Amino acid sequence: MDRRRMTLLGVGGLAALVIAITAFSIGDNLTYYLYPTEAIERKAEFEDGARFRLAGLIVNGSLEGSAGSLEFTVTDGGADIPVFHTGAVPPLFQECVPVLIEGAWDGERFVSDSAVIRHEENYEVPEEGGTLPSC
Amino acid sequence: MLAFLGTIGVAAALIGAILLVVRASVVARGKGGADLAGPVKLVVAGSMTSMAAMQIALALDDFSIAYLANNHATATPFPFDVATAWAALEGSILLWGLVLAGFTWMVFTAYRRAPDRLGAAALAVMGIVAIFFFGLMTTVANPFEVCVAAAERGCLDSSPFPWATADAPIDGRGPNPLLQNHIFMAIHPPLLYLGYVGLTVPFAYAIGALAISVPGAEWLRRSQRGTLIAWSFLTLGIVIGAWWAYEVLSWGGYWAWDPVENASFMPWLVATAFLHSALVQQRRGMLQAWNFVLVISAFALTILGTFITRSGTIASVHSFTQSAIGPTLLGFLVLVLVGSFTLFAQRGHLLASAPRVENMVSREGTFLANNLLLTVFAFVVLIGTMFPIILEAVTGTRVGVRGPFFNRLSVPLSFLLLLLVGIGPVTPWGGATPQLVWKRIRGPLVAGLIAGLLTAVTVTRNGWVVITVVLGVFVIASTGALLVGQAGRRRSKTGEGLAAAIARVTKGDARFWSGQLSHVGVVLVALGISFAANLSQHQEVVMREGDQVVFAGHTITYRAPFQQRHPGKTSSGIRLEVVRPNGSRVTLEPTHNFFPGHPNGVATPAVDTRASGDLYVMLLTLDENRVAIVELDTSPMMWVLWLGGLTVAAGGFLSYRNRRQERAPARAEAVGV
Repeated sequence: MDRRRMTLLGVGGLAALVIAITAFSIGDNLTYYLYPTEAIERKAEFEDGARFRLAGLIVNGSLEGSAGSLEFTVTDGGADIPVFHTGAVPPLFQECVPVLIEGAWDGERFVSDSAVIRHEENYEVPEEGGTLPSC
Repeated sequence: MLAFLGTIGVAAALIGAILLVVRASVVARGKGGADLAGPVKLVVAGSMTSMAAMQIALALDDFSIAYLANNHATATPFPFDVATAWAALEGSILLWGLVLAGFTWMVFTAYRRAPDRLGAAALAVMGIVAIFFFGLMTTVANPFEVCVAAAERGCLDSSPFPWATADAPIDGRGPNPLLQNHIFMAIHPPLLYLGYVGLTVPFAYAIGALAISVPGAEWLRRSQRGTLIAWSFLTLGIVIGAWWAYEVLSWGGYWAWDPVENASFMPWLVATAFLHSALVQQRRGMLQAWNFVLVISAFALTILGTFITRSGTIASVHSFTQSAIGPTLLGFLVLVLVGSFTLFAQRGHLLASAPRVENMVSREGTFLANNLLLTVFAFVVLIGTMFPIILEAVTGTRVGVRGPFFNRLSVPLSFLLLLLVGIGPVTPWGGATPQLVWKRIRGPLVAGLIAGLLTAVTVTRNGWVVITVVLGVFVIASTGALLVGQAGRRRSKTGEGLAAAIARVTKGDARFWSGQLSHVGVVLVALGISFAANLSQHQEVVMREGDQVVFAGHTITYRAPFQQRHPGKTSSGIRLEVVRPNGSRVTLEPTHNFFPGHPNGVATPAVDTRASGDLYVMLLTLDENRVAIVELDTSPMMWVLWLGGLTVAAGGFLSYRNRRQERAPARAEAVGV
């Protein structure tokens, strides 16, 4: 009986330890994923330079600069955010394309260094967003 | 016409599955014999007919079928046109059905050889799963819907009725660009499905055994064989998938803890745990209840994996409700979990109160520890995969879990597992003194430490690599010592040569030694991962025509950009002339591929593979002024990783083959006749 109790205690303790470590680790490794409207609403939370991923459409006519240093605006229809992007961009990174960029706020603009084109080919308007501008 | 044929095939398979459940449950209850061959043949013939209809439609470019209009194009070259049959949701369910029919046939042939209630009950469970998947194909994931409103490319609206008047587009959209870039992508899904769907077989025997209240050892024996074949294919599928990601995907790695990858890895971990714990039950009669839990969990994880990858839930929880497939799969998952565990609880009293592991210093003790680590590993991956989905569903906040979360937990778990791989096989069943085990592992441990020291002095001071080398050499030395020791004892008796003695020993206990082969593969995989993660060099450079960079001993010159037209795609890339560290030359052409009908291009890296390591070049950006941004990577000895993965799978297949050969004389243990 004692042996059984000890085993139970051991297994229970181990399970608690694993859950604690998992919970602790996951909190450190989360990246938020926001649309421009949400990014502006929740700006205060990310004011300290915390990185997050911004999802939106590149506004038609906003893309300037050359490989390695680009400026453009992303929108979800509800809000626009100017972006300064260093680093590479994937093929066909262009205006009117839905993108996902990672970086942080720098004043009123978003500075990013990693960009991917969102893989869904039918860009869905986020519920929070409103209508997308036509391209 | 082909929509008709395909629909008839699916319907026939569905009817076959229903008949199979009805008749097999009569046999399983012991209420007399019924013909099970007819329903099984109907399932097999139906699923083969539907896949044949799909393949003929693809060969004839029949865009009146909506699936083809949306996923196939006239220009799609071989073999990608064949693989298009499973490149998207509905087709993948079609392939699932075909593979499930194949495994049902496998269970049936075993039943036909030695008919008993357990075999019939397992067939009934296979039938229930088949009803679900063929049911999906007649409702929410119908691969043979007729396109009734054509777009320029693709289909806007479709009808489930094959007699509907078709409005076929002139050409289709073609498969997802990522899927038509490499031969691996054509063979990786079928392999993975053979593994995934194969796990239905052990599940069927487990549930069958519980249902007819015979939870003894026989279900386990049959489940083991089913698990071995499924596990081997799953291993192969994961390795080929990682290889494909490395050769094709633009993120330049072989593993990213992506939900799709995790979905295949979780059942693999649990199935691996089962392959070990099943041995414990066989040898010592322990862990009976635990084995049921593992088999049910492995199957449930394959359904969860299908849900994760096929419901659009990864992209956003909001896309979950856009198609009925998500809720349907989720419902089936809940049904599987609730149904299985309810049955398990009801039959719990029938499980023999097994002896507990008395001495942790024993083979069963190391297996217990191995099971604990593997299930914790699976749990961690599950949490990391599901957390964003659950958080978004509950709070609406979208988050991603970064790779470091998985790495932080999987690295120590993997080291502990490696340590056990070295200790377990030399630890006797039933228990031993710690002194005996220490005596057996002392030598190999010293060998490992020496190898680690040599690595630290001559190659790298990187602690992770050194630890991996120590553990890897320890495992190989420990296994090798065991083999040489046994062969030596044989030689002193028979006087034969060492090679002949080794061959005899491994043949004599082929199951054990094929398992050890898999262990050697695991060591190679660990080394490959460790080298790639810790010793690779990485640089991003901006290059103009004629520019030269020196990277990790390579001199790389940007010669010129180029454009090429292929059937079904256009490529633009740059030509790089590379002088390797040893002075030899090679031309590399990293490219971007563009496919008509798809807005996104795909970057294809150029890889120069050599024994010492790979030079991996990816074209990130190529602008109108011919300025290129190029990512350069070196990964030392990448081939070790692929070789290791293939070795793990080879061990599984060998073990399966040996089990087949052993089976013949031991067939008489029919259950519940």
